[in-house]
Amino acid sequence: MASFRRVLLALTFILGIGGLSQDMTSSVFGADKLVVYSGRAERLIKPVLDEFQSKSGIQIELLSSGTTELVNRLQAEGDHTPADVFLTNDAGSLEHARELKLLRPMNMREVERAIPAQFRASDNSWIGLSGRFWIVVYNTHLVKPDQIKSLLDLAQPQWKDKIAIPNSGSEYLQAGVSVIKATFGEDRTKQFLQGLKTNAGSQVYQKSSQIVEAVAKGQVAVGIVNHYYIYRHLAAQPSAPIAALMPDQQEGGMGAIMNVSGIGVTRASKHVDNAKLLLEFLVAQAGQKLFADLDKEYPLHPDVKADPALVDRHAFRAALVPLARLAELREPTLTLIEQVGLR
Amino acid sequence: MNTATRFNAPSPLQWVSLVTAAALVLPTGYIMYLALTAAPAVWNRLWSTRIPELLWNTLSLATSVALTTLVLGVSLAWIMVRYEFPGRRLWEWAVVLPLAMPTYVLAYVYAHLLGMGGPTEQWWQAIMGSEAKLVSPHSFPGVTLIMALDTFPFVYLLARSALLNLNVSFEEVARACGVPPWSTLWRVTLPLIRPAIAAGLALVILYVVSDFGAVSLLRYQTLTYAVYQQMTGRYDQSAASILSLLLVVMAIIFLVTERWFRRRSRFYQTSGRFRTSTRRHEGILGTILITAYVLLVFGASFGIPAVMLVQWSIAAVAQGALDARFFGFIWNSSFLSALAAGGAVLIGLPLAYLASRRPSRLNLACLQAAYAGYALPGPVAALAVLVLFTHFVPALYGSVILLLVAYILHFIPVGLQSMEPALQQVTPNVEEVARTLGCTTRETLRRVTLPLIQSGCITAWVLMFLQTMKELPATLLLRPVGFDTLAIRVWQEASEEYYQLAAPSALLIVLLSVPALLLLVAKDWRGRDRGVIT
Amino acid sequence: MNPVKDSEPYHHLQGTVPASETGDLRVAQSPVLELRDVCCAYEPNRPAVEHITFTVLQGEILCLLGPSGCGKTTILRAIAGFERVVAGNIALSGQLVSSPDTLIPTEQRHIGMVFQEYALFPHLRVEKNIAFGLNHLSRPQQKAIVDDLLALTGLRGLEHRYPHELSGGQQQRVALARALAPRPVLLLLDEPFSNLDPDMASRMRQDLHTLLRQTKTTAILVTHDHDEAFAMADRVAVLRRGWLEQFDTPEAIYHLPTTPFVADFVGQADFISGLVTNKLVVTEIGEFPNTKNFPTGTKVVVMIRPDDIHIVPTKGADARISARQFKGSENLYTIQLRSGQIVHSSESSLSMYEVGTAIALRVVATHTVLFPQPPGSGTDT
Repeated sequence: MASFRRVLLALTFILGIGGLSQDMTSSVFGADKLVVYSGRAERLIKPVLDEFQSKSGIQIELLSSGTTELVNRLQAEGDHTPADVFLTNDAGSLEHARELKLLRPMNMREVERAIPAQFRASDNSWIGLSGRFWIVVYNTHLVKPDQIKSLLDLAQPQWKDKIAIPNSGSEYLQAGVSVIKATFGEDRTKQFLQGLKTNAGSQVYQKSSQIVEAVAKGQVAVGIVNHYYIYRHLAAQPSAPIAALMPDQQEGGMGAIMNVSGIGVTRASKHVDNAKLLLEFLVAQAGQKLFADLDKEYPLHPDVKADPALVDRHAFRAALVPLARLAELREPTLTLIEQVGLR
Repeated sequence: MNTATRFNAPSPLQWVSLVTAAALVLPTGYIMYLALTAAPAVWNRLWSTRIPELLWNTLSLATSVALTTLVLGVSLAWIMVRYEFPGRRLWEWAVVLPLAMPTYVLAYVYAHLLGMGGPTEQWWQAIMGSEAKLVSPHSFPGVTLIMALDTFPFVYLLARSALLNLNVSFEEVARACGVPPWSTLWRVTLPLIRPAIAAGLALVILYVVSDFGAVSLLRYQTLTYAVYQQMTGRYDQSAASILSLLLVVMAIIFLVTERWFRRRSRFYQTSGRFRTSTRRHEGILGTILITAYVLLVFGASFGIPAVMLVQWSIAAVAQGALDARFFGFIWNSSFLSALAAGGAVLIGLPLAYLASRRPSRLNLACLQAAYAGYALPGPVAALAVLVLFTHFVPALYGSVILLLVAYILHFIPVGLQSMEPALQQVTPNVEEVARTLGCTTRETLRRVTLPLIQSGCITAWVLMFLQTMKELPATLLLRPVGFDTLAIRVWQEASEEYYQLAAPSALLIVLLSVPALLLLVAKDWRGRDRGVIT
Repeated sequence: MNPVKDSEPYHHLQGTVPASETGDLRVAQSPVLELRDVCCAYEPNRPAVEHITFTVLQGEILCLLGPSGCGKTTILRAIAGFERVVAGNIALSGQLVSSPDTLIPTEQRHIGMVFQEYALFPHLRVEKNIAFGLNHLSRPQQKAIVDDLLALTGLRGLEHRYPHELSGGQQQRVALARALAPRPVLLLLDEPFSNLDPDMASRMRQDLHTLLRQTKTTAILVTHDHDEAFAMADRVAVLRRGWLEQFDTPEAIYHLPTTPFVADFVGQADFISGLVTNKLVVTEIGEFPNTKNFPTGTKVVVMIRPDDIHIVPTKGADARISARQFKGSENLYTIQLRSGQIVHSSESSLSMYEVGTAIALRVVATHTVLFPQPPGSGTDT
C-alpha cells in the first residue's frame, strides 16, 4: 500500500518535471544554446552543426522534420517558439516563412560579402547556403545518357515502370514543378505530371536516398533527385552503376532546376547573437567548404570550389526562375499536383 | 443492487470525470468540426483526386490481410487445440510473439529481406536463375504478407479460445448423424466459432487501417499514411482533417463490428456444462508436417526477423552505435512513456471508478468517451491535438504536453481495459464494510480500494508504457526539440535504409514488449479457458 | 373430532422478550434503534420499502425475515447509512441519523456489518482484517482486542492467514470478529449463513447466538429462512413487498400470525374454509372458537399447522391419506378430505400408514387463527 502511494507520488513528481523541463532547459542552459529546426535530412546537416558546436562551444539542439511541417510549427508556436534558426532544403519555404513574418531581417556584412544577392532574401531574412539541382540519376547498365534530354522526356510512355520519383509532399518536387510551370505553362506541366504519375506507378519515395538506391539496384532505370544524393552514394559505393545527368541543357532549353538550402533567424529568437555566429560560420569559406565536401552540394560562396567529382558549375545552365518567386508559385503548383493525383 | 442513485449530490470526483471525458472527446470533435466545415472546394478536390484511390488501397489491403490472417490464424488455432505433438505447449505461446513486433520493425526487416538484391532474392536467383523475380515488399502482395504476418495472432487468439470453449457434443451429434469429419468442420465447427473469427478479423482490419509504420516504410498509400503526408506537406490542415474524418468513421465501423461479434461469440460459448474435444496424437509424418508448418509461420513472422535484428545489432554495436545519443533516446522513450502511462492511469482511474461504482448513464458515457482514442489512428490523434492546441493554446505547441496529451488520448483505452476489471473485482461491499468500521470515503479509498486495484493499475501502466514506447506517428509529428525516441530512430534510420543502425533500438523495443505480451496472454488464457488447456 | 377450545390469547408469546432469555436486559430497555415510518426508494415513485416502524432494544437480536426482494436488505442498508430514506427517520442510540434531509455518514454511526459474501479485505491478513476498525487505538490495545476476538471466535492460529486461505466458516468468523472489534452499538448481519452448507450453517448459528449473548451485542439479522430466524431472534419482523407484515416474538409469529402470508411463510399451514355460526366457526374438520368475534354468517378461513392435526386410522372415515413424505424426524402426511380439501399432518417418524388408508382427524390446536375469507376464493362447506 505504501509502495503504491510512493508510485503515485513519483508520478505526480515526474509530471511536474515534465511541465517544467521546457522552461528549465531554456533558462538554465539558455546562454550557450541554439535551437535549430531543420527540414534537411539529418544525416546531411548534423555533421556541419556538430562542427560548429565543437568550434563555438554553443550547444545545438536539433529538431529534424519536414520543411512544410516546420513552417506550420513555427507559425503555430509564434512568439513562444523555442527555435532560433530555421534551416530548409527549399528557398520557397523560407520565402513563405518570411512572408508570414516568422523570420528576422539581418544586417550582416559577412553575409552580404559571401553570398551573391540572388541567393538571399531582399531583406536578408533568409540566406541561401548551398545550391542543389533537381536532376536525373540513371542506371548506367540500363540507360544511355543520350536517351534523355529534358526532364519532360521522362513523361513519355517508353519510361513506363522505369522511373522513380519523390512523393508530392517533398518541397523540391514542388519547387521543381513550379519552375517547369513558370517555363512551359500549365498545360504542358499537367501533361508532364500525368506522364510521370503513370510511369512511376508505385515507385514513389519518401526520401531521395531511396530513389538513388533503387536506381543503383536496377529496380528502376531512372530517377529524379537532388544531385548530391547521387554523389554521396557514389562516394560511399564508387562501383555503383549510376551517373548524374544534367537535363534541359539543349539550345533554348529550360536549364537545370536549381534550388538552395538556406537559413533564417526566427523573429522570436532569444539567442540572436548565437544565431549570428552560426550564420557567419556557415557562410564563411570554411563553412561553405563543409557543404561542398560533406554534402556534395554547390557552395554559394563564389570563392569556394565544389567537389571535383561534381559537374563543373560553369559547364551547365540553371533555370531562370528567381528563388523568391518559388513561394508565390507554390499554391497553384500544389493544386495542379493534386489535380493530377500525384502521390 | 442498483447503486445508481445511492448518492445524489455531484461530488468533486464527478466533476473531474466529466471534465476529463470532455477533454478526451474534444480533439476528435474539433477535427470532425474542421472536416465538416472545410471549404467544399477542398472536399471536391480530394474526392476527385485522392479519396477514391486511398479508399480502394486501404480497403483492398485490409481485405487481403484479413483473408490471409483468416487462413493463418484459424489453421494454427485448429492445430494447437485439436492435435498433440512435441513442443505444442511452447508453440502455443510462440505464435503469439509477432504481436510484440511493431509493424514498422517487421516492415523494415522485410524491406531488406525481400528487397531487390536482398538475401532472399539472391538465394532465389541462385535456384531459379538470375532473372527470377520475387514479390516486392513494396507491392500490394508484399505489404499484405508483412501486415498479415504481424496481425494473424489476433485471429489465432480468438479462434483458439473459441475452439477450446466449444462443446464437442455439437460435433459428435453431427458425426452421429452420419456427417463425415471434413463436412462436420465446414458445417458445424467453423460456423460455431464464426463470431470469434469475425471479431478477430475486425481487429485485424482496424489495425491495418490505422497502421502508419509499415505503410510509410513500404510506401503503400493508405488513408492513414495520406493524413500524415497531408499534414507534413501542406500549410493548410483541412485536407488532412477530411481524410481523418473518413478514417475515424471507418475505424468506428470496425470497432463496433468487433464488439458486436465478440459479444455474440460469448453468447455462442455459454452452453453451460460442456466437454472439450480430445487432442489427436499424430504419427511421425503428421508431426513433421505440423511442425514444419508452425515453424514456417513462426519463422517468417518472428524468428527470422528477430535473428536479423540480433545480427544487425551486433554489427551496429561493433560500429559504436551504443553511444551517448543512443542512451539519450532510451531515456527520452522511457521518460515520455512513463509520464504518459502515469498520466493516463491518474486520468483513467476516476472515470473507471465512477463507472463501476455509480453506473449512471452519465458516468458510463464518460467512460465510453475515454474509449474514443481507439478510433483514432496515430496521425489523426496527432492532428487532432495539434489543431486544437494551435488554435486555442499555441503557447504550449512544441512542448512535451502536446505529445503527452496525444499519447494519453490514444492509449487510455488500453489502460482502462485493465483498470476496469480490477475495479469490478472489488465488490462494493468491501468498501461499505470499511465505512461501517469507521473509515471516511477518502480513507476507504486509501486503505481498501487503491491497495486492491494496485496490480490492475500497474498492469495498465506497463501496457500503456510499452504502447507509448512503440508509438511512431504521433511522436514523429509532435515531439519537442531534442525528444527523439527509440521508435523515431528506428523509423528514421530504416527509412534511409541504414538497417544496422536501426536494429539496436528495434531489438530493444521488441525485447521489452515480449514479457508484457506474454503476461497479457497468460492473464487472458487463465480467465477464458476455464482450465481446459490440457 | 373436537378441537380443544381455547380463546385465551397467549400473552407471554407477544410483545416482549421472554424472561428466560433477557436476564438483566429488562432493566435497561432503552431502544438502540428506532425506525419511524421509514420509506426508501431506488427510483422515484417506486418505493422499495414503505412505512417501516420498529424499535430494537439493547441486547436484543432482531431478525428481518421475508422472501427475496421484500426489502429486508434495503432496511439494513438504510440503517447502515448506505441508502437514503425518502420519508420517516431512523435514530441510533437516541440520535437522529437518517431522515429525508439527514444522512449521517456510515463511519459515524458506530455500527458493525457482516455481509453475505463477508467482504473480507483480500489484501490483509486475518489479524489486520480484524484490527481494521481499530486504527484509533495503540498497537498493544489493538492486539489485545484482536487476541480476545480470535479466542472468542475460535480463530486462534489463523491470524497470519490471508482470507483466501480460509474455509467459508472461518471467513465468516473473521468477518464477525472484524465487525465486533470496534464494539459497535449495533451489529448488522446480511444473510450471514447463506454461503455455508446446511450443517455448517446450523453450527455457526449456534455459535453466533452464544457469541452475541456473551458480548451483549445488539444485532439485526437479515434472512429468508424462518428456521434461522426462529433459532436466532428475540423478535422477528416479517416483511413482504416492502411492507412490515408482523413484528413479534418468534413464538407469536408462528402460532399467532396476523396475516395469511405470515402464516404460510413461517411454516407449513393449511387454510380451511369455515362459517361463523353462533359463537363458533364451523369447518369440515370440526368447530373452532370465534376468537375474532366475526359476526354470524361470515365466511372465514382457519389456519391449521400439521403438528395440530393427528390422524387415527378409522374404517369408513371420509378422509384418506393421499401421500406420505418421510422427513427423518417426522412423517408428513397429505390428507384429502371428502370435499377435496387438502390438509397436512405431522406424525412421529415411527407411525407408518399406507397411502389410501381411511382416517379420522384429531385436531388439537391450542389456539385458533382466523382470517376473513378473501372474496371469491375457497370452497364452501
